[in-house]
Amino acid sequence: MEMRNVIKGWRHFWKKWGGSVKKSILFARSNIRRSRGQTAAVAVLTMIAAVMMNLWLMLSIDYKQNFELCHDRLNDGHVNLIAGCEEADFCNYLEEILREDPEVMEYCITNAIFTGGVFPYGTGEVSQNMVILEKETALSRKTGKFEIMEESGEKSGIYLPMLYGTGDNYSVGDTIEIAFNNEKIQFTICGFFNSAMTGSHNCGMLSLLLTEDKYREFAEKSSAAKAVYTSVRIKDQDCGERFDASLKNAISKKYPNVPVLSNYYEMITTSRYISQLICAGIMSAMAFFVLMIGVVVISSNVANYIQENMQNLGVLKAIGYTGGQLVFSLMIQFSGISAVAAAAGVGLSYYFFFPVNRMMIAQTGIPYQVKFLPQLFAVTVLCISGIVAAAVYLSAAKIRRIEPITAIRGGIATHDFKKDPLPLSKTSLPLNLALAMKTTFLGMKRNAAVCVTMLVLSLVLVFSTLMFENAIISIQPFVDLISGESADSAINVDAGIEDEFFAAMSGDSRVEKVYLFHKGAEVLHVGGVSLFAAVSDSYSRMNNPDLVISGRLPKYSNEMVIAAKYAKENELKIGDEIVIKAENGEQAFLIVGYCQISDYLGKDCMFTREGYERIGSLQNVTYYLNLEADVDIDEFNAQVTERFGGDVYSTFNFMSLMEGTGSVYVTLITVLVTAIVFLSLIIIVLCMYLLIRMLLNSKKREYGILKALGFTTRQLVMQTALSFMPSVILSTAVGIFLSTLIVNPLVTLFLSGLGIVKCSFSIPTDLNLAAGAGLVLFAFGAACMMSLRVKKIVPRELLGGDV
Amino acid sequence: MEEILLKTESLSKSFSNGGDLQHVLKNIDLELYKGDFTVIMGASGAGKSTLLYALSGMDTPSLGRITFGDRVISELSTDGLAVFRREHCGFVFQQIYLIESMSVMDNVMAAGLLVSKDKRALVEKAEELFRAVDISQEIQRKFPAQLSGGEAQRVGMVRALINSPEILFADEPTGALNSKTGLDVLNTLTKFNEEGQSIVMVTHDVRSARRGNRILYLKDGVILGDCRLGRYVHGDEKRHKRLAAFLEEMGW
Repeated sequence: MEMRNVIKGWRHFWKKWGGSVKKSILFARSNIRRSRGQTAAVAVLTMIAAVMMNLWLMLSIDYKQNFELCHDRLNDGHVNLIAGCEEADFCNYLEEILREDPEVMEYCITNAIFTGGVFPYGTGEVSQNMVILEKETALSRKTGKFEIMEESGEKSGIYLPMLYGTGDNYSVGDTIEIAFNNEKIQFTICGFFNSAMTGSHNCGMLSLLLTEDKYREFAEKSSAAKAVYTSVRIKDQDCGERFDASLKNAISKKYPNVPVLSNYYEMITTSRYISQLICAGIMSAMAFFVLMIGVVVISSNVANYIQENMQNLGVLKAIGYTGGQLVFSLMIQFSGISAVAAAAGVGLSYYFFFPVNRMMIAQTGIPYQVKFLPQLFAVTVLCISGIVAAAVYLSAAKIRRIEPITAIRGGIATHDFKKDPLPLSKTSLPLNLALAMKTTFLGMKRNAAVCVTMLVLSLVLVFSTLMFENAIISIQPFVDLISGESADSAINVDAGIEDEFFAAMSGDSRVEKVYLFHKGAEVLHVGGVSLFAAVSDSYSRMNNPDLVISGRLPKYSNEMVIAAKYAKENELKIGDEIVIKAENGEQAFLIVGYCQISDYLGKDCMFTREGYERIGSLQNVTYYLNLEADVDIDEFNAQVTERFGGDVYSTFNFMSLMEGTGSVYVTLITVLVTAIVFLSLIIIVLCMYLLIRMLLNSKKREYGILKALGFTTRQLVMQTALSFMPSVILSTAVGIFLSTLIVNPLVTLFLSGLGIVKCSFSIPTDLNLAAGAGLVLFAFGAACMMSLRVKKIVPRELLGGDV
Repeated sequence: MEEILLKTESLSKSFSNGGDLQHVLKNIDLELYKGDFTVIMGASGAGKSTLLYALSGMDTPSLGRITFGDRVISELSTDGLAVFRREHCGFVFQQIYLIESMSVMDNVMAAGLLVSKDKRALVEKAEELFRAVDISQEIQRKFPAQLSGGEAQRVGMVRALINSPEILFADEPTGALNSKTGLDVLNTLTKFNEEGQSIVMVTHDVRSARRGNRILYLKDGVILGDCRLGRYVHGDEKRHKRLAAFLEEMGW
């Protein structure tokens, strides 16, 4: 009975409205058939928007979930901690804390070795705190599991995180040389494993699995600390940061001298997905921009359609069509094209996702299986076609107001020519330029579409030049932003030989500058979380003066600088006093500035050495060195290691580090910048095509007359192209100027997840001007190309009449 | 000896019509002379307008040659023809074809500035021509949509004459006008012809045809008759009768 009512209701609805819908569809089909070129251009624009939007949705929703799935599959810890002690007392204490904490669901404590290590990666190297585990022990862990992804039959050697098996890096069977505190050991790579929390150099600690023989050999020979590696799953994964702080606090209370390093869930989800974060940010911005341009151009097309077809629309109204039906047919036409194009765009986005995925895996190290996501498909298609339909509805509102008889008689002025903006008898401009300017003044909607397009593309261009200058040409500014301070070399030595080391380095003619800059000393903000301190007694000698983005560097022992992101989250202001605790006790410090180091994703702080020593002591110290230009950094580091022997714990070649870990980002940024510049050029061509086609349709008669009077095709092509130039030049100039003001805040927004609150990349003015000029010239070239359709206008056809 | 302005040799024009080739002009050999007011008459479909557009370089012939002075214009490119038109021809159309987005003065200046760079001289000339066709300064500032048909056609004539063309082509210039304004336009054309302007006009209208000193009668793409009437004299009945007899002979 109910079903019958539904059918009856539907029949009634169809009887009442079905005819209208069918007629509207027929009109839409007829319009599409008549304007194939326009249909194709609109389709390509919406398809590009759909590609961007679907990539953005995939990256920001499903790709991120991939980490969660991997984390769950491996039952990995929400907090992972390596402590440089394997004494039974310590282990019992640790187990007791975990057992008694109601927050803890499960945990696993495994013997391990804790050491620093460096190995070649990409064109540079990776330098990390390493957690070395015996393979079988690691695989038997219930919490914080490791899964083997690839392995050979090799019985003796090392297993590396999957990340290092991607791209052109390591393969099974290769030999890898790792420098553990400058003790170089070679291993055969037996395979690759997956670990959610320690499987990349973005995790704060990096796991390596050794076969039983190699593990035993390494444990016996190496001076590295015997340790325990603990993975803890807690009830609320979002409380990882708090739990991590309380666990370390509890350990430091009883075992202040045990070195401890940890990470937690929120930290890793961000740090392992930096490239995803950047890429998704850029994709979302591009999707928004392309859609905006598409909507503006479609609106302009609809307005032009109404103008061109005023009489036909009047006739249709006169024979009984309602304004609603005519508007609906336009909505069907454009949203139909958009829906089909968006569906194709979603399909195309999967094609592009494969190379994107490869780039992402090179940074995340977590394999992602590309699969069709119907819900994202639906969101993309509905969103794009819905926005287009809404834009058409608003632009076509004029149809409802058309009085049929007035329209038929041609009584509706589509243009109101009352004022001559540029009388030819008075202007000093050359004829063709003057006629072009007249066209410009009489096409405000067209100008608006051009302006929106060029403003958006200027922003894209300025972003691209910014990335080109600050990441592609030289990665130094990008590194400075992310890691704060860098030099040529950093050498970590035992605090006992510090004076001797400093004197030797100061006296070495190859050393331009040497200063203490020790990072990573863990302290606790009482009432807050663990922070990572940078300590120096000579901040004035630092290479990166922009490290402190507000306030100043600490001068006195009771002063500190705190990460801007942390300060913002905890409402800490310059001038506030906070209590900081380390192994020797706790003291109040005055915040004198905000810094921006994202090594620890915005959990950083800075002290003077004297200040830090009020609460803790440095067992080893890191000195940064600037070397003379022709000095080989690796050779220099090797010589220093040789001279000071076991008292040198580690040496870093910053160039190699940058090239190693930074090359992934440089590749990613290069690909993204190339893609968005290429895309921008396509968008210009499409917009010019649509706008010029529209212009030529409306000026067909006028151009026919001008041709009859003796204007050549070349002159009319120039007039057409030049008519776009005022809005192109003006909006590009304004766009580039405004973009230079907002591009750094925009990059800050993309990188905010990394703890960046103020990005101050240098803006390459010359490059922007050159790129702006290039954009204008390209737009002019595209406009000329598209204007060649003028050729098809033959004066004879317009004059018609009798044979 | 009359000076030849335009000459055609075996001029033919064909159009493709749904797969069939329609021969609109067939082997026309014709000479047009300087200072003449040549009228092309014929029934609908005879090829009058096609001949006019071919002669004026608005269209290219399918076969044959058109020579203007010593230049073979039938061999010119599209842009070459445009330059030829701007430098040597003026046009008055039935539908007038003023550019709606330009003021009356700008419609004239747009054509004038194509040839002359001396803006001041051009403005002076335009004003002189406007005075000659009785277009006031107030009308000069108006836009085409604000003009009457007669005003618009007189503006069209000024635009056609602004570059002092060697030949003025008029395609049914009175076709869209009432008899009073049509007469004004014919008087203006006659006046310019008396001042030495060569004119080629296509018309259906016998009253308009009377203004010509030479009448060409076109039928089925060939010139059936060529009548020399002598200069137009208002009220010359003898001349009118000669024309009527010619047209009758042509089967009009």
